[in-house]
Amino acid sequence: MRQKLIIVGAGMAAAYLLQELLEQEHPWQITLIGDEPDVCYNRVMLSGVLAGETADSDLQMLPARHLQQGMQLLANTRVRAVNTREQTVLTEGGELLCYDKLVFATGATVARPDLDVDGIEGVRVLRTLEDVRFLRNQCSNGRRAVVVGGGLLGLEAAHGLNAMGFATSVIHRQSYLMNRQLDAEGGLHLRDKMVQSGIRFYLGNSVSALHANDGALTSIDLQDGSELSCDLLVFATGIEPRTGLARDAGIACARGILVDEYLQTSAPNCFALGECSQLGSHCFGLVAPIKAQAIVLAAQLTGAAAPAFVLEDWPVQLKISGIEIFSAGNVESGGEQLVLHDKSAGIYRRLVLQGDRLVGAVLVGDKRDGIWYAQLIRNAADISRYRPGLMFGKAVSEAMQLSAIAA
Amino acid sequence: MSTCRTTCPYCGVGCGVAAEVDGDKLIAVSGDELHPANAGRLCVKGTTLAETLTSQGRLLHPVVYGERASWDSALDQVAHKLDAVRQAHGPGAIAFYLSGQLLTEDYYVANKLMKGFLGSANVDTNSRLCMSAAVAAYQRAFGADYVPCSYTDLEESDLVVMVGSNAAWTHPVIYQRMLESRKTAPHKQIVVIDPRSTASADAADLHLQIRQGSDGYLFAGLLHYLHAEGKLNTRYIGEHTDGFADALAGTAEMTPPVVAGMTGLALSQLEQFYLLFGNTEKVVTLYSQGINQSATGTDKCNMIINCHLATGRLGRPGMGPFSITGQPNAMGGREVGGLANQLAAHMGFDASDVARVETFWNAPDIAREPGLKAVDMFRAAESGDIRFLWIMATNPAVSLPDTAQVRRALGNCEFVVVSDCVGDTDTAAYADVLLPAMGWGERSGTVTNSERCMSRQRALVPAMGEARPDWWIVTQVARRLGFGHGFNYQHPVEIFTEHAQLSGFDNEGTRDFDISALSSLSEAEYEQMEPTYWPCPVAESVGKPVVDGRFYTAGGLAKFVAVAPELPCWAGDADGLLTLNTGRLRDQWHTMTRTGRVPKLMRHREFFSVSLSPEDALSHGLVESDLVEVRTGSASIMALVRVEDAVPQGQVFCPIHWSDQHSGNACVNGLIPSVTDPLSGQPQLKYARVALSPVAVAGWGLLLTRSLSELPNLAYWSRVPVSGGYLTFFAVADAADIIDVQRELLKPLLPRATRNSHYQDSGLGDFRDVGTVVDRLEYALYSNADRQRLPDREWLSAQLASSPLVDSVPLLAGLDPDTPSSGRLICTCWEVGEREIEQAVVAGAQSVECLGKTLRCGTQCGSCIPELKRMLLRAAV
Repeated sequence: MRQKLIIVGAGMAAAYLLQELLEQEHPWQITLIGDEPDVCYNRVMLSGVLAGETADSDLQMLPARHLQQGMQLLANTRVRAVNTREQTVLTEGGELLCYDKLVFATGATVARPDLDVDGIEGVRVLRTLEDVRFLRNQCSNGRRAVVVGGGLLGLEAAHGLNAMGFATSVIHRQSYLMNRQLDAEGGLHLRDKMVQSGIRFYLGNSVSALHANDGALTSIDLQDGSELSCDLLVFATGIEPRTGLARDAGIACARGILVDEYLQTSAPNCFALGECSQLGSHCFGLVAPIKAQAIVLAAQLTGAAAPAFVLEDWPVQLKISGIEIFSAGNVESGGEQLVLHDKSAGIYRRLVLQGDRLVGAVLVGDKRDGIWYAQLIRNAADISRYRPGLMFGKAVSEAMQLSAIAA
Repeated sequence: MSTCRTTCPYCGVGCGVAAEVDGDKLIAVSGDELHPANAGRLCVKGTTLAETLTSQGRLLHPVVYGERASWDSALDQVAHKLDAVRQAHGPGAIAFYLSGQLLTEDYYVANKLMKGFLGSANVDTNSRLCMSAAVAAYQRAFGADYVPCSYTDLEESDLVVMVGSNAAWTHPVIYQRMLESRKTAPHKQIVVIDPRSTASADAADLHLQIRQGSDGYLFAGLLHYLHAEGKLNTRYIGEHTDGFADALAGTAEMTPPVVAGMTGLALSQLEQFYLLFGNTEKVVTLYSQGINQSATGTDKCNMIINCHLATGRLGRPGMGPFSITGQPNAMGGREVGGLANQLAAHMGFDASDVARVETFWNAPDIAREPGLKAVDMFRAAESGDIRFLWIMATNPAVSLPDTAQVRRALGNCEFVVVSDCVGDTDTAAYADVLLPAMGWGERSGTVTNSERCMSRQRALVPAMGEARPDWWIVTQVARRLGFGHGFNYQHPVEIFTEHAQLSGFDNEGTRDFDISALSSLSEAEYEQMEPTYWPCPVAESVGKPVVDGRFYTAGGLAKFVAVAPELPCWAGDADGLLTLNTGRLRDQWHTMTRTGRVPKLMRHREFFSVSLSPEDALSHGLVESDLVEVRTGSASIMALVRVEDAVPQGQVFCPIHWSDQHSGNACVNGLIPSVTDPLSGQPQLKYARVALSPVAVAGWGLLLTRSLSELPNLAYWSRVPVSGGYLTFFAVADAADIIDVQRELLKPLLPRATRNSHYQDSGLGDFRDVGTVVDRLEYALYSNADRQRLPDREWLSAQLASSPLVDSVPLLAGLDPDTPSSGRLICTCWEVGEREIEQAVVAGAQSVECLGKTLRCGTQCGSCIPELKRMLLRAAV
């Protein structure tokens, strides 16, 4: 009889793990438990669905036959408790499942600010396909939507809502957008570009109160004292790892579920990956490290020579509202700056040097050669010979070196 | 489409040009197979003539005190002022400064008005700067300004001595004819005498790299040698000459060792030359500005002529002392009397000449004394003695020596009229009245080349704007002054036939210039006129000057002139200064008012630079492309450095072409003191003592723009036209100014673009800004602390023409890895770049012929062949 593997959570981390496992011979009888009606879809593309740019079916990350044949799938199912001593999982429906190995892929929730929203209609997050379905059913004509949060998720939501026809505004606490990935000028470039599509921005501001009429949202107050009328409020104010289940099971958690470099939690036969996990002081929210986690964990589970998961400085590669964004290394550190901008084309590129090393790269609107920069940063390569052409990419740098030699 | 035969407006070779005209447009030009000067050949300047017919910079309507005016009011103004000044201050207060660019008919009318009717001989011409020493020397020796040679003599000679001439670049077609004739006559020798190792020297059998200005010693010593070695033609000396004994006595001390000492030549080299000259009967000595532009220019010319007289080597095929002129119609100007010391038609100011011309012109107020020569004329304009100055078709603010003085004169002179086809010259800036003249391709008349061949310049296209022929402009002023009876011309043929009649008037073989056979040409005959050599008298019986041993001196004998050679105010090397030498570049002409508009012609030498020997560069701490200030007294120029083996130690070579229109602080003649040859009045334009100081540069830049743009104050700038716009190279001396300069440069440009891209690396001092309008590049600015990091200029220059633009990043990068540059242009005719040639050499091309077969370079005008040879030589080492 095959050994049992239970994966709690059916989001993108689970999907990546399954992609890895299903690609090879594995010994497991897999049970996948997800609390949404939809499983293993690409959450990153939700705003595209909202905007009408992506079909629902394009979101699917695993072939349907795998979901139907290769495993037991429990959608719309919440887990009530995990017992690490007995190696069991109890669902809300009262079903008790045994496991030989358990994987937490419980993801994250949207962190909401401390505001009184009880009983007010029109206050949402954009996290799930269900959220998208709700928003899509809203009449957008002549209505106003406000997104709280000018990070990646907020901007994606704003793009989707704006494309739906909502008069869309974004409120962001920091002075520039995507402050975790970009620098001030890059953030401003991004704003300028998005303003062109009609979105309004309130930077350095936040929501202080909501007003409703008959339970329906009518306006919000902002920190600076102004009032903004709105019909729909979407929170995109960062994420919190979902650790409740693990914490209750006595597994060591900090902000996320603590794992070692093999994704092992403090409990035997229990692993965690994705947004719910934490390695050292690092939590995860971007695709690249989670994919890497999936590879490490899959190797563990198939008994292959298991590589360790190594924290890297993964570059951030995004596309928001059609604008390519790339960020690598430490973009906030001081040092010499190489700056290229082309305002009307919405292009902004900044490279940060310390001595002869490239330490950071921010590319907005044109992410050509981003991967090369990421390599140079990771390898701490001496870029002095490349410097005159560095900004213009590898081909130009090398051609410049050649012409310098010829001269 | 039709083909029209006309004549090239550039150098004194005067090549025939076949112009393809389609309606109102000149499509292309090629060499006229039927013209005796070139028989189908054409140099690169001539080949690109069609590209010069642009409206850019053209003066399109009269301008009076800065305001557009009608022809009537402008001509009224000129006539009124001319009359008022003459009435108030006498004929000495008015002057015309003419040009070897004018057609013979224009020249004739201007000369006739001033000398005949206004009573002033203050008519001089820029030919004064070019060959007036040669004229004076011919007059001293032959009693007339008679050039006793033709281009076929260069082919038929067994020895050509080129002295003070870089014909490979300045007169490419006759140089190529010479080289071709050597192919079938392998014994033929070419000797080049030049302090620089010029392109002409490359093909020479012997190059005598003499000390600058020491040519007189060489030829004085040659006469001494010819006598000492018994190489004289005593029969010729006895029968046809006068003054030999005195001339020879003057060379008594000019033994080869003395001459070797004075010229800096090795004795063996000197003797090799003397031996060659002594033993070769068919010798042509070809000389040009290097001889003429000297304080002792006339004497030097006579020393050359002395050697030919002493050997009887003139007046026969393949021999003679041959002065070649710089301008298309310098000779025509000489023929009509366009110099202040001539009256008309090779007549001077002796009483009988004056009386004869007075009768012919019916001009009782005729001038009876010579007028002021160019340099003196501008001195008089500064002092206030000349109050009315009319400048036609030339740019004295750049071309005369001591340009600061010339500019003061233009500023001080009460009334300055400039008639020209272009309005954006340094001189035009000083004009009270600007009159638009027709340019080449529009006007119609005749020119005479260096071998006395008269050819027609024909109208190919309609005049631009309100441009008129120069003869018409002068005629209109003459009529307003009440001289209608003498200036009732309707067509240039009327002027030409009058000129021909005057040449034969009361001549009877007494004057060399006689073209009376052409006195009664009809308009139709004039239109069909074939290239015609003078003399062409009605009566064939009068014979040929020089050829039949006949001269125009009082006794009919040629004169030896006894002169002692001198070095130009020789101060030795003790002052720590260098000697300035000036000259021409291969693809440029004069002050670039014509060639400076043709992108192709700017690609051989893009930006203003001076050349130094490697030794002097090293001792001044300079390397290629550094910025240097060249200074003499209070005048200075700023130039890039070219380090060239061709330049001798102790010398700075500077091209003459740049003006304020093309570069900041580049007017080389500003460094030249106005020292003139006392006999001819020709300025010594090829000599000054100068100090060099390296200029530290904090920032270098390139600016590519679609249209002309204001420039801020810069340590250095030089601008060239490129296809679709302009490329400016600049330098900023002070690091503190760089940001301001960038801002100033961008200020007028930013509003022209709809999209601006910007790159900055403050650490490397790298700054770039590119502006586009939709998919069209509008401007690109690159500034860098290191000039090596600026984009390749050839690549950059091509960017305005390449469209549509999809991506501005390669532009900002200043490099597109997918389209490498072909490198500096070597062959202008076929547009072959340095890199292509280098690659062909690497791929196995081992000769000029082989390169020509693979890349076509060097197969048209041939002026790049010396450079191709150097490249092959370099690759072989």
